[in-house]
Amino acid sequence: MTEIRTVITGLGIVSPIGTGVEAFWNAAVKGTCGVRPLTCIDTTDFKTKTGGEVRDFDAAAYIAPEKIKTMGRSSQFAIAAAKMAVSQAGIEFTKENPYRVAVCIGTTMGEPQILEQGIKAKYTASSADAIPADLPRQYPCAVIPANVAREFGVRGPSVIIPTACAAGNYAIGYACDLIKLGRADVVIAGGSDPFSSIAFTGFNRLLATTDTVPRPFSKNRDGMAVSEGAGVLIIENMEHAKKRGANILAEILGYGIACDAYKMTIPDPSGSGGIRAMRQALRNASITPDAVDYINAHGTGTKENDKVETLIAKDVLGERVKSIAMSSTKSMIGHTMGAASAIEACACVLMLMHGIMLPTINYEEPDPECDIDCVPNSPREVNLNIVVSNAYAFAGNCSSLVLAKFTGS
Amino acid sequence: MNMNKPVITAASQISSIGAGVDCLAANLGAAPRMGSAGKYDFHEFSEPIPCFKADTFDPEQVLGKKGLRTKDWATKLLLATMELGFKAQFEASSQDDKPGICVGTAFGSVQSIGDFLSDSIVNGVNAVNPQAFANTVINSPTGNANIRYESRTLSTTVSTGFNAGADALIYACDYIRRGYLNRIVAGGLEEISYYALLGMLRSGVLSPTSRILPFGTLADGFVAGEGCAMFMVESAESAAAGSRTPLAEISGYASAFEPSTFAGKFCGESARHCMKAACDDAGIRPADVGFIASGANGIRNADAMEAQAIRDVFGDTPVTAYKARFGECYGASAPLSVACALADMNAGRITGVPEGYETIDALNCVRGTAAWKRGGFVMVNSFSCDGNCTTIVIKDIHEAAYNRQHTKLQSY
Repeated sequence: MTEIRTVITGLGIVSPIGTGVEAFWNAAVKGTCGVRPLTCIDTTDFKTKTGGEVRDFDAAAYIAPEKIKTMGRSSQFAIAAAKMAVSQAGIEFTKENPYRVAVCIGTTMGEPQILEQGIKAKYTASSADAIPADLPRQYPCAVIPANVAREFGVRGPSVIIPTACAAGNYAIGYACDLIKLGRADVVIAGGSDPFSSIAFTGFNRLLATTDTVPRPFSKNRDGMAVSEGAGVLIIENMEHAKKRGANILAEILGYGIACDAYKMTIPDPSGSGGIRAMRQALRNASITPDAVDYINAHGTGTKENDKVETLIAKDVLGERVKSIAMSSTKSMIGHTMGAASAIEACACVLMLMHGIMLPTINYEEPDPECDIDCVPNSPREVNLNIVVSNAYAFAGNCSSLVLAKFTGS
Repeated sequence: MNMNKPVITAASQISSIGAGVDCLAANLGAAPRMGSAGKYDFHEFSEPIPCFKADTFDPEQVLGKKGLRTKDWATKLLLATMELGFKAQFEASSQDDKPGICVGTAFGSVQSIGDFLSDSIVNGVNAVNPQAFANTVINSPTGNANIRYESRTLSTTVSTGFNAGADALIYACDYIRRGYLNRIVAGGLEEISYYALLGMLRSGVLSPTSRILPFGTLADGFVAGEGCAMFMVESAESAAAGSRTPLAEISGYASAFEPSTFAGKFCGESARHCMKAACDDAGIRPADVGFIASGANGIRNADAMEAQAIRDVFGDTPVTAYKARFGECYGASAPLSVACALADMNAGRITGVPEGYETIDALNCVRGTAAWKRGGFVMVNSFSCDGNCTTIVIKDIHEAAYNRQHTKLQSY
């Protein structure tokens, strides 16, 4: 039996360098840095003062006012990105079987600001009675896909996969499986994470954050930047998309996921999980390393991650790695946690469509341990056919996604 | 046995009923064992909150002392459940053949997450223990299990609220059906935490009379519980190749979302669809289902919705609600119900809701214990207050002797 093919027909992005696909792309091509002094948190007691905030987000532009107060920022981001993606896909859910439309979202922290709000309210008032009665039900991260599904009135599986900073890729991969197994025709898939003081505190305490801006693959890199955002893709059964006359943006050829099983907060120095994930992704996509034109790196800007990711690419791609560019979107938007790989998947689709590789900005000094072509500081025009997007996470979660220009054949 | 359907070849659980599947089978019908939650590191309830605690095992006895200092309770609960059920299989497997791990949880390590934040508020952001940060990601227990058992093939966490454990089982089945892996240890986990309990209190879902009366006409909410139930899910070919006797076949499943269910309003349209779709996936008629393990928990309008949906699709099929025995364990509830169903199937019985309260007339709700003819299908439901609907159909493998592989567990 011929395997069902999965295609992308819509994108939505909420990011520190722009809300909306066009705003994001224009800023990214210019090499805009969204990591700036933070305004959403008092940084007085922190070593790090910078991060990635979405400053132009207006929830009311996407969500009815009476609904906004019933949900956290992660849900708001996800709905906004989903509405952009649905609009671009030109899909009308009233014409679809609602049980064939699923939602699958990845996240690291879920709705942490709800928990933060509740605990701070209790401490401020010295009483749990100060916590609004309707607040707790906004916290479990299951509400994020539920709020998206409710917004569109769809009834298919509503899933959230909180596999930390690789969650977006996990969600996109599972979305493809839901379609390939015949459990859905369309999946609203992606990742969402708001700025979290828990994450900011934690990464600060681990000394993993930069004092200034992230400099992935640069020898003087000194850490990642905690950030926020959302990325959503409309993923469809190719035949379904063709039947409704959709404009197909790209194809998802396959994905791979694995685990380092090493330490909770640092990658396996040998890159075991990343190697396994990327190999599995290529196998799942039925391609060899020779077919890969570009890699969108996890590229956080920490010493360990970038070094190990270089090892992974060398191990999987062999000699081919010397002729493949591998850049970091996080150099511009910071680390948006569970949203990161979903935004980066959107970025990959845009790169395939425009024939432009986005740069690794803030790159200053070559590092022998990261001796790859990271597209330093300026975008590059090139014909791209197949790209790989990596994402790694706490708990050793590793993932790779393979996307291709849609040819129809 | 249909070789295209995943099977369950081993099971393990820890709940307020006890540790291990034999303990569960032996004590399922006993009077529920309730405890309470009161004082935590940073917070304290003014009065203890009655709940079903899974303090039926000693983590150090099961797991040993090494490496436990930085592990939180949710992680210990998962690791102990894994240790009791699957340690030997992990140890006997080569690196590339180790089972993957997929855990469903509504709140993950929310006690650690909340404590990390509370610590930073009370003692300052520079006083918090950086090692504690690793416990604040929702997938922390799963990742710790992967590390302990050196499982590199799969580490996934699913967090669809009440349905998380059921959806984790489905994720594992989908992963196997796609041919990515042959074996995955999958199930659900939930801890009793101050923060989740406080949220339940503020939301008004806890029973003020501290009773859990699924389908009860006088039900007034639920009693929270905690626990973990995990299963070795594998392809039938894999089980046969490894000479592992299936306990049951996962014959079918479905999940759906009910957009109109929110904030106490319940609609049964997607629940009905979900149960019918699961039967279709299993290739059976509703009349083929021997009994239904419902998700009922004492939230009256939710229970009424499920009762009506069951009535509409199944008529008089016997229904039970295992949550009466172990409480509302959120992400662990459906897997614990699967574990209870396996125990009942093996014993040729249905453990119903306890005697002593009146249930909804329209439903054939089993009271006490009823006999059940082995070899048929059982349906496990999970319908949540945020709209998620999940149904799993399992088939008793009658010819297989129930695999009593955890004989030493009752000593814990």
